[in-house]
Parts: sequence; C-alpha cells; structure tokens
Amino acid sequence: MFLELEHLTMKFGGLVAVDDISFSVNKGEIHGLIGPNGSGKTTIFNMLSGYYKPTSGKIVFEGKNITGLPAHKVTQAGFARTFQNLRLFKSMTVLENVMVSMGHLAKTQLLNVMFNPIAAQKENDLFTEKAMKLLDLLDIRQYAHNLAVSLPYGTQRRVEIARALATEPKILLLDEPAAGLNEVETNELAEILTTIRQSGITIFLVEHDMKLVMGSCHEITVIDYGKKIAEGDCDCVRSDPRVIEAYLGKEEDL
Amino acid sequence: MRELSVLVQTIIGGIGIGSLYALVALSTSMIYRSMGLINFANGSIYMVGTYLGMIWYRGMVMGLQFSYWVSFIIGILLCAGFGVVMERVFRKLADVDLRNMLLGTIGLGFILDNLMIIIFGAEGFAVKSPVSSKPIILGSIRILPQNILLVTVAAILVIALQIFLTKSKTGKAMRASAQDRDIARTMGIHVNQSNAITFAIGFGLSAAAGILAAPIVYVNPAMGSAVGTKAFAGAVLGGLGNIPGAILGGVSFGIIEAISAGYISSQYTKGISFIIVLVVLMFMPSGILGEKQVDKV
Amino acid sequence: MKKNPKTLKLILFSIAGIALLIFPLLAKNSYQVHILNLVGIYMMLSLGLNIAMGYAGQMNLAMGALWAVGAYTAGLLNQRLGLSLWLTLPCAIVAGGLVGGFVGLPALKVRAHYLSIVTIGLNEVINIILVNETKLTGGVDGISKIAKPALFGFKINTEQRYYYLILIAVIATFLISRQILSGRVGRNFRAIRDDYKTAPAMGVNAGFYKLLAFIISGCFAGAAGALYAHLNAYISPDIFEHKTTLFIMTLTMVGGLGNLNGSLIGSFILPVLQEYLRAIQDWQYVVYGLAIMVVVLFVPGGLMQVFTLLKPYVTMLTSRFNKLKSGTTVGEDSNVS
Repeated sequence: MFLELEHLTMKFGGLVAVDDISFSVNKGEIHGLIGPNGSGKTTIFNMLSGYYKPTSGKIVFEGKNITGLPAHKVTQAGFARTFQNLRLFKSMTVLENVMVSMGHLAKTQLLNVMFNPIAAQKENDLFTEKAMKLLDLLDIRQYAHNLAVSLPYGTQRRVEIARALATEPKILLLDEPAAGLNEVETNELAEILTTIRQSGITIFLVEHDMKLVMGSCHEITVIDYGKKIAEGDCDCVRSDPRVIEAYLGKEEDL
Repeated sequence: MRELSVLVQTIIGGIGIGSLYALVALSTSMIYRSMGLINFANGSIYMVGTYLGMIWYRGMVMGLQFSYWVSFIIGILLCAGFGVVMERVFRKLADVDLRNMLLGTIGLGFILDNLMIIIFGAEGFAVKSPVSSKPIILGSIRILPQNILLVTVAAILVIALQIFLTKSKTGKAMRASAQDRDIARTMGIHVNQSNAITFAIGFGLSAAAGILAAPIVYVNPAMGSAVGTKAFAGAVLGGLGNIPGAILGGVSFGIIEAISAGYISSQYTKGISFIIVLVVLMFMPSGILGEKQVDKV
Repeated sequence: MKKNPKTLKLILFSIAGIALLIFPLLAKNSYQVHILNLVGIYMMLSLGLNIAMGYAGQMNLAMGALWAVGAYTAGLLNQRLGLSLWLTLPCAIVAGGLVGGFVGLPALKVRAHYLSIVTIGLNEVINIILVNETKLTGGVDGISKIAKPALFGFKINTEQRYYYLILIAVIATFLISRQILSGRVGRNFRAIRDDYKTAPAMGVNAGFYKLLAFIISGCFAGAAGALYAHLNAYISPDIFEHKTTLFIMTLTMVGGLGNLNGSLIGSFILPVLQEYLRAIQDWQYVVYGLAIMVVVLFVPGGLMQVFTLLKPYVTMLTSRFNKLKSGTTVGEDSNVS
C-alpha cells in the first residue's frame, strides 16, 4: 500500500473532530476527500501533513509509520501540501518562494553554502534552473521576479502549487485548491492536476467544488461529522444514499 | 516551628511586593487586551505616577501640601488623565509590528524617564509612611503595617475593578471591545473611547502601585525600570491579556523573589525569578492562565 | 548608457573607501578615532542582531549579554593565560555562539513577546553571574589591563592602529553576513520570519534555523566582545546591561531591520549623534527618545526605508541629468508625468 490511514482519531478537548477513520490512497491516482463544512476534512489534512498529532491511530506511508512526525520530516518523507488561505512568504518573489522548498533536497553542506561563495552560487543557480522549469509548468514564468503576494489570487494559487511541487513530493496534498477561482481558472486547475499526476505524483485532494472532484478523482472518500460515510469511485459515491443525505441535509448540491 | 514561621513571614513579604507587581502587571495586561499593545514603558509610567502623587505629599508644587491619602487620590487621577492623553500616542503604536511596538514604547519610556530627571533631578527622595513602622507581632511572625496596607489597598482596587468590568455598562462595553473590536464597533461601542478608559484605569493602577511603594522604596526617576520588567514578567507568567492571570503572575513573581532571596541566594534573586518564569513558559507557552494557542493553518 | 550608474557607483565606492582609509589621519584627536572604533563594534553587534531579528524574526533581546560573553572570554583568557587577541578572538566567537544557541533554546517553545521577555531575563541572568561570580569575573570591578595585540612585532596599541583592525573585522563581518543571507540559509530565515507555520511544510526545519539565527548573532557578538575587550583594556558588567541590548536594538531598527546596510547606517548615526547631543546634557536622551518615536511611527522600516522612498526621485534626477548630457531635451517626456 502506498498511503494508509489506520483508525485515525483526533480529539480537541472533549470534541471529537475525526473519529476512527481508515482508508488508503493508491499510488498514481487522484484521491478526493469530500464532506460538508466542519466534517473534519482539514483536520485529516493537517494530521497527514504533520501539523496535528493524531490522538490515536496510524499513518503508514510506503510501509513506514510516519504518525506524529514533525511537519518538515513529513515533507522530507515525500509529502507536499498547499494551504487553503494562500500562505506565500510575503517578503519573497515568486522564484524565491519556490526555491525555499528546494532547501531540504540540497546536497551542499550547510557550512559550505554559508561561507563558500562559489558553492552557494552554484546551489542558487541549480535551484533557479529547477524552479524556472516548475514556473514554466504552471505557466507563471513571467512573474518569477514579482513579489508573490502582489499577484492576483488565481496566480498565487499556481505559485502555491509550484512551491509544493518544488519539494519533489511523492504525494501532493491540496487543500481546496479551487476555492476562490472562477470557472475558467478551475478548468485550468483540472488540467494542471492531470499533468502533475502524469508525472507520477499521487494527489490527495480536499475540495468543495464537486465538478472538479467528480471530473478528476479516481477514488473518493466521503466523511461527515468526523466519520467515514462512503468511499469508492465517482458513480458509486454519487448514488450512495448516505452521501446524498449528508449533503441534502446541509443544502449543498452534489 | 521556627522554620515554618520564617517561611510564612517570607511569603507574606513576597505577597506585599507581589501585589505591587500585580497592579502594574494588571495595567500591562489590560492595555494588551484592549489593543494588542505590549507596553514596555509600563515601568516609567509607574514612576511618573509615583511622582504625580508624591509631589503633593511633599509639598513640591506651589507649596501645596496634602495628606498621604489625598495625594494618593490626586496621583491616581492625574495619572489616569495622563493615560487618556497617552492613549492617542499608543493608538498609533498599536498598529505597527511587535518589533516596532517594542522600540516605540521603549523610546517613550526613555523620554518620560529623562523628562522627570530634567524636572525633578536625578536624585530622589524618601517618603514617610502614613502608617506606623512598628511591626505587628502575631506569635512568632512579624508583619510590617505598610505590607498589610499594600495588600489591602491592592485587593480593594482589584475588587473594585472587577465589579466595574462585570457590572457597569462601560465595563461591559470595554470587555466586548477587547474581545472583538470589529464586532464591538457594529454593536455601537465606541472602541477608542473604551480604550481611553482602559488606559485611564491602567495608568491609575500603576500610579497606585507606585504611591503605595513610595514609603518602602526610594522615589527617583530610575525606580521604574526594574519594576516594569518584573511586572511584565508577571503578566506573561500569568498569561498576557488575562486579568486574574496578571494578579496571579504578579503575586507569584513577588513570592518567588522573596523565597529565592531568603533561601537560595540574595544576589541571584532576580536571576532565579527569571529562570522560573522561563521554565513555566517552556511548559505553558502562553502563561499559566493564558489561552492555549492552537496552530491553525 | 547602462555603464553610467555602474561607474558612478564605482567612483562613490572608491571615495568612501579612501575616506575610510585616511580617516585616522584626518581626525582631530584620538577620541574621535575611539568613537569610530566603537561604531565599528556596534556595527558587528547590529549585523548579528539584524540576522536574528531582521531576517529570521527572532526576538533576541540578549545581545548585550552575548557581547559580554565574548568580552569576558577574551579578557579572562588574556589575563589568566596570557593569550593574545589572535587566539582569544576565535575562542570568543565560539563562546558567543554557544551561549547564543543556549539563549535561543526557548525560541523552540515560545515566540514573539513571550520570547522577548525570556531573552530579556537571560540577559539579566548572565549579567548577574558576571557581577556575583567575583572569583572568576572580578565582580563589579571587572577585568582590567587586557593586553593590546601585536602583529609580527608591530604593536597595535593606539586608537589609530586599532581602527584598521576593526575596519577589517567590520568588512569581514559584513561580507560573511551577506554571504550567509544570499543563499539557502537566508531564504529559510526569511521563510520562518514571514510565516513560521507554513515554512515546515516546505521542508524547512524551523527549530534548527531559529537556533542557527541565535548562534550566528552570538558569534558576531562574541567577535565584537573580543575586539572590545582588547581595545578598551578594561571591561565590567555594567557595560553589558539590558540598556546596552536596547541600544543595539535601537540602532539596528533606526537603520532598518532586514537590511544589512541599515545596520551600518544606524550604528554610525546614533553613536555619533549622541556625541553631538552631549552639549545639551539631560535633554539629549529626550531628543534621542523622540527620534526613536519618529522612526517607529513614520518610517517603521528605518532609515533604509527613507532611501527606498527617495530612490525614484534620485533615478529621475539622474536620468534627466543623463538626458541633458546626451543632448536630448527634457521637454520630450515632460508631458508624460
């Protein structure tokens, strides 16, 4: 198994945000996690990326138990994530934002980059070259030297994805990447997701936009009130009575 | 038995000094709560407050001389008025980032300290206590009347403040605007006005602490710096922005100080107190009663 | 056309370089040189603080104490073992870095205003140790008669000669700072400053870089301490109190946080300004406090922000000047603006 969540539970004080959830993500697929607001999606997301330590349960990635590792270790293990509410480094250009993510891959010794100008320059050049390729992939090369936070919303979303990809992940966790995007941008996003998947990166997608989810995902897990209520492919999930009830009850259309 | 009475006496002394720290910590914490501003000039305000009261007691202004308690009231009122004026300056500082806030309030403290030196001179004066300096003896415990006075008056002020905040309309508005400025605004609460009242109270409390301390310390323009840092440490220890926390933190700091001076080493007192604050913060990063911060992403 | 600003820059740099080199010869007395030597030491301290506070966003309010660690390491090694500056300097750098890392440990747990009170406290603790461990540190009397260094028999025993030593040290510190910040380490510092929560998701070990920032500022302070001890020949705890920390912070912020040039400018302007303000006695500190308030309220980015604000006007003026020189009329584009 590629990524496996086993009996994952998260409690905040007395409140159970995620209750005994188990499912697995297959390599090379786009896996969707959906559910009404407040159902525990973001909590699962934060546990996967090392931001929350689960109260109980296990996260197993490529046979290794990564439960409770700090966020930077999780990233080094092959996870990358984006943030729902755009969190780009505000003092940095687009290029610098992307280059930050490459630091943990660096082969040059720390003292060497600190005190040896030649080694540092070489590393910077290498990072720049790699970053520029990613910017090309996301079609934002022309903004490379702009301050990232000064760009329009949709562009910033692309920078976030480029920054996540720069960590060279095996699995990319996207937290509502379509939030705030218009229809054209959402369609472009779907294309980007396909390109990323084709390059061999698994995608784990938390999303509200059902069109995007149904159009892109191979496998979907549905949760409500912190519990798993359904899983399967799009058709299977769409016709599941419990899913319909969960969404109808909250007046959101599928 | 003897050892126990020494310990009790040490703790009582600590509570006395601690209630001074608590009053200044309360001021720091209330101002932080109302506008998110860390006031590193709180020590200077404590010193200014002391002068604003003691100049009347000593008859330093146009020969006017009042009793200790009248001077106490005048000092608090003047310093509260000073707070209302200063709120306008601090309002600007509340909008800058922490590092600039730090520097700005330090700069302000610098100006106040040196203005006082220019006006009153660098050398200070001693103040006669309004109560007897003969210790009260209870069994084997000796308590200074000034100490009892300190704790009593501080307690009265804290209770009065609590009643004001929870019962009066203005107090409720202040608490509302401290919790959420935007919501308070839509509820028709005048945020600036309620901040001004917070400053008046905060500055008044600092003045009260200074005037109460005057008979046991030497009044001079440098008297505020140590108290300011300790009160800030007390406020942080209890949990910044938390009113019971400020009192708890301030009093605890006083007790810790007294115990470490009496039992461990008088030279290392200040150091030990800070180390204890550090250790507490390592386990409770938001202080004892501070709200636990959840890492939201 | 593009060549012009570059040659201009080169000319300005050469003028500044020559001015720096011949300053001791022009100075009226060795006191003036002494002030400039202190300015150089402040520059090193301020660069260290700027890396921790300006770039990595860590409230290191123990710079005075870290400076003391360097000074006392050098002073004691010289007094007890007779080591010269060339040996005490590296020891002081290591000691400063070690204590800097120790002071930074709480940053793994607490942050912002909580971290500031903790580091203020540690500054106090270190100072109290200096005052009370009389047997080791000499207590309030401090350490005196620290020897001036010599280089191959050439004694660096005057303010003028020491000036060049400090000049080299400042240039080295500046270049090292720039080097450290230009690459991966600098980007990671800014990442944890800009958003300490998201940085780990990009693989940045936030705790490690927080500590590294403290260690670097400690090393710089250590170097500054050794240079100061051998320059002054006398050190005592009161030089390194909390107020010194605040002074270092003030010069850094007045110059401009997050900008290395800001550290140089702030460290030059404030101590020199203080010398001139001596004439107005007690009022000097009031003026000084007012200056801080003006900076904080109106130019929170420090003096470097003033320069950035002025930059467009300067470029405009130079481009007009260039156009005049190359024969085109200014009127051509005047309707644009």
